Amino acid sequence: MALRPWRECQALTAISIQGVKRRFATFPALNGVDLDVESGEFLALLGPSGSGKTTLLRIIAGLDFADEGVVCFDGENVSELSVGDRHVGFVFQHYALFRHMTIAENIAFGLKVRKRRDRPSKAAIAARVEELLNLVQLPGLGGRYPAQLSGGQRQRVALARALAVEPRILLLDEPFGALDAKVRKELRRWLRALHDQVGLTSIFVTHDQEEAMELADRVVVMNKGRIEQIGQPDALYAEPASAFVYDFVGESNRVDVEVKDGAVHYLGRALALDAGDVRPGTATLAFRPHEGAVVESGGIPVTVTSVRLRGGLKRVEVQVEGDGLLELDMEHAPTVGSVIELLPTAYRLFER
Amino acid sequence: MSHATPLRHRTGRALLIGAALLWLAFFVLLPLLSVFAQALPAAATGLTAGFKAIGHGAPVKALGAIGSGFAHSWSPYWEAITQPDALAAIKLTLIAAGIAVPANLVFGIAVSWAITKFDFPGKGLLISLVDLPLSVSPVVAGLIYVLMFGATGWFGPWLVEHDVQIVFAVPGIVLATIFVTFPFVARELIPVMTEQGRDDETAAVALGASGWQTFWHVTLPNIRWGLLYGVLLCNARAMGEFGAVSVVSGHIRGETNTMPLHVEILYNEYNFLAAFAVASLLALLALVTLVLKGLLEWRYGHGGSARH
Repeated sequence: MALRPWRECQALTAISIQGVKRRFATFPALNGVDLDVESGEFLALLGPSGSGKTTLLRIIAGLDFADEGVVCFDGENVSELSVGDRHVGFVFQHYALFRHMTIAENIAFGLKVRKRRDRPSKAAIAARVEELLNLVQLPGLGGRYPAQLSGGQRQRVALARALAVEPRILLLDEPFGALDAKVRKELRRWLRALHDQVGLTSIFVTHDQEEAMELADRVVVMNKGRIEQIGQPDALYAEPASAFVYDFVGESNRVDVEVKDGAVHYLGRALALDAGDVRPGTATLAFRPHEGAVVESGGIPVTVTSVRLRGGLKRVEVQVEGDGLLELDMEHAPTVGSVIELLPTAYRLFER
Repeated sequence: MSHATPLRHRTGRALLIGAALLWLAFFVLLPLLSVFAQALPAAATGLTAGFKAIGHGAPVKALGAIGSGFAHSWSPYWEAITQPDALAAIKLTLIAAGIAVPANLVFGIAVSWAITKFDFPGKGLLISLVDLPLSVSPVVAGLIYVLMFGATGWFGPWLVEHDVQIVFAVPGIVLATIFVTFPFVARELIPVMTEQGRDDETAAVALGASGWQTFWHVTLPNIRWGLLYGVLLCNARAMGEFGAVSVVSGHIRGETNTMPLHVEILYNEYNFLAAFAVASLLALLALVTLVLKGLLEWRYGHGGSARH
């Protein structure tokens, strides 16, 4: 049996995860994760594929089990409980609606499979289905089949089906992943409004930073099976803890530099930048596209490779000598092919 | 769309379709029809006469010729298939199929479920094993059972001691039939279940459904057409199996002869009419299977496409 050093739950939060580790064959999916979720909170697990975010969600749901560590709901250790006994609502990326059942039958499923003594009466189930159809704004569609609904409608049905059993928490695995951009935006706002209305503790997984930032109360940024940073969307953007988070929460440019004598050096030349309290050695200089400026001297020499119109600004692509491409948003673009010197007006330095 | 197809391509297409149809007509349809013609010789003559009469513009005469043809054919045909040995063969075939098909239905579902819904070591081996009966010659399949349960086989002495007869008796025939027809259900279900993934079952379990409820309310409705199709093919093969059953049967008339074996015996005795009469029953089974399969595929293609 797997080792679980913590038997007791230390926190009384809605969801508390302590020291969770999970390994698939040789690939460590989760390398020790601690996380506390407050009651009524809307939390996003954000990360690239392979970061462990879906594994973490499945472990919280009881669809997968940790090799080490515990999962607690309201101070109760649920680590050993299977998904059916945890009373969680789970929403899948591809909806997973039962295609041979009508919408109403889909929503009623969780109530109909209950043991006779816990099962509501037929009339009560029908009333609950009606109520949920109204909640997800699909009144009157109970008689249709999933195939007759659009993707956005199907995801709302999946949500109603999950809510029908009155789960203690709601878990959503890339809930907008299969939808096109426009529907995705609408459904996102709608889901946020629904969360505010229902107030259920919810966690959703996404690889889309825009989605996480717009929707969640707090965002958990994950990378390589670890939590890189947890924070409110604004805080993540303003105070990223690592180059990875900086990169993941917005568009970014990265240049490899060296910190020496309190100054930032690029290919042996000192840049007119303050190294602050960054320790000497190699570092990553990071800045957003709108933070790049052309300077007379003391900048990074780059060659302009292309200029495109983007919104009211110009998107300028430049080639760094001995490094990759950078993207800048500028009001007045330099001519293509010209060599300029570039210096960020705002930036971050991450030790490597 | 077709009017835009260049002439050269249209000719090629017509040639290809024509060749395929001719091939099927010559190698499949003609032999099948000839079985019926041999089984009901007078009816065939009557039909020929009838068509000639229609050609000469005498429809009443034509109907008469066809009718009397069938009437003359019917009684020897009926005698051939109601003869005691024939009835015993039909009964044994029904018994073998009646056990093999339900057994393979249950285990076919179990194996497909295990392969598609779970990950476990040795899964690849299991998938190959499912196909084994199709790649092994039926004769070898029969010999395996003789080797295992025959008087000189592994379990032979023990079986003799306890007076249990497996080879050259009904149990051996049933075992051989199960072996040969095992892949049909599983091979139909595995692709269907793989395509549908595990999300539906996971969703059902997350909603509190038990394993049995999940299977009955979610999995089974999702696989029903594939399952029916698999059972149909399994049944056709179970009734028609010759090689493996021939090895383990011992050819005891009225006791261990199935329909295909009975046909062979009659044929070897130059009793062509009776042979073809029983053969026509098997051929009829093939036709019924084909029609049902067609209906299912039609249903599959239309009703079944309502997914995602």
